[in-house]
Amino acid sequence: MGNDITTSKDVALVEILDRVLDKGVVISGDIVISVAGVDLIYLGLQALLSSVETMERLRCSPIAGPMQEPT
Amino acid sequence: MTDLIYLYCITNRMPQPKWDGYGVYSINHQGLCAIVSKVPEDEFGEENLKKNLSNSEWLTNKACRHEKVIEEVMEDGCVVPFKLATLFKTEDSLRAMLKEHAEKIKENLEDLEEKEEWGIKIYCDMERFKKGFLKEDKEILRLDKEISLSALGRGKAFLLKKKRDQLLNDLIDKKINEAVQEFLSGLKQQSLRTRVNRLLPGDVTGRRDDMILNAAFLVEKDKWSAFIREINVLKRQYEGTGYIFGCTGPWPPYNFC
Repeated sequence: MGNDITTSKDVALVEILDRVLDKGVVISGDIVISVAGVDLIYLGLQALLSSVETMERLRCSPIAGPMQEPT
Repeated sequence: MTDLIYLYCITNRMPQPKWDGYGVYSINHQGLCAIVSKVPEDEFGEENLKKNLSNSEWLTNKACRHEKVIEEVMEDGCVVPFKLATLFKTEDSLRAMLKEHAEKIKENLEDLEEKEEWGIKIYCDMERFKKGFLKEDKEILRLDKEISLSALGRGKAFLLKKKRDQLLNDLIDKKINEAVQEFLSGLKQQSLRTRVNRLLPGDVTGRRDDMILNAAFLVEKDKWSAFIREINVLKRQYEGTGYIFGCTGPWPPYNFC
């Protein structure tokens, strides 16, 4: 049997991109300028996750984070 | 050279500045602090941004900075995090957005008080599953026996094999669906809200096993250890049968804003 879920915060870049790139108000592959009358440039990057090559090579340096072993 | 305003997140408590070198500052409006930095238009403008986003080094650098700035703000209070490269032409256009959406953002921040996001990704070793069914499922064993009979014509054998493969896939799907439902119901009990996200393919995760669940959970800050305990209960119960569990957090509440 393996160990319990470890609680390190050396998170792969894919975990970050899964959050910061892919959500709701995006239009795939496009940049929307001036949404609702505001000069907002919002990026639609749904296509990106699957198009970035060799994602597994990319690792972020560890992020300072609070995870601890639960007691 | 013109600058654009890059928005990381919005918070309702003035955070302690600690972003050396990133040029991060806050724009305040009606009790809301928008955490921003100025970025050059020739790097983040429409055309070059597209080009830069396909540059893995640039993307890695910017994604990590984005996350790091937001995590630092989170140390002082809760945040509404924005997506990578959320850009405004000017500070005034950002202020106009704050003004227009102030009530909604405040509600969102109040709702997120003392809560945090945890991410669960569960993978499955399909080959292991297949082997199990091939050895144990009665109907599969019966079909295999029939297929192996030398008296069968090639056409019949082909059809039977197709039938067997379909049955095998159905069995695997059913088993995984049942397991996913059980994982979700256990974890839902230890969290306030759940969001199930799309599964990432192997060429994105860089893994050989298949992702079967990608979900985010909003958990009360003082109850995270119960949440982790639940994952470990599931893990102990299921890992011997080909499931692999991944848990990360606490994250900014990207999935709950």
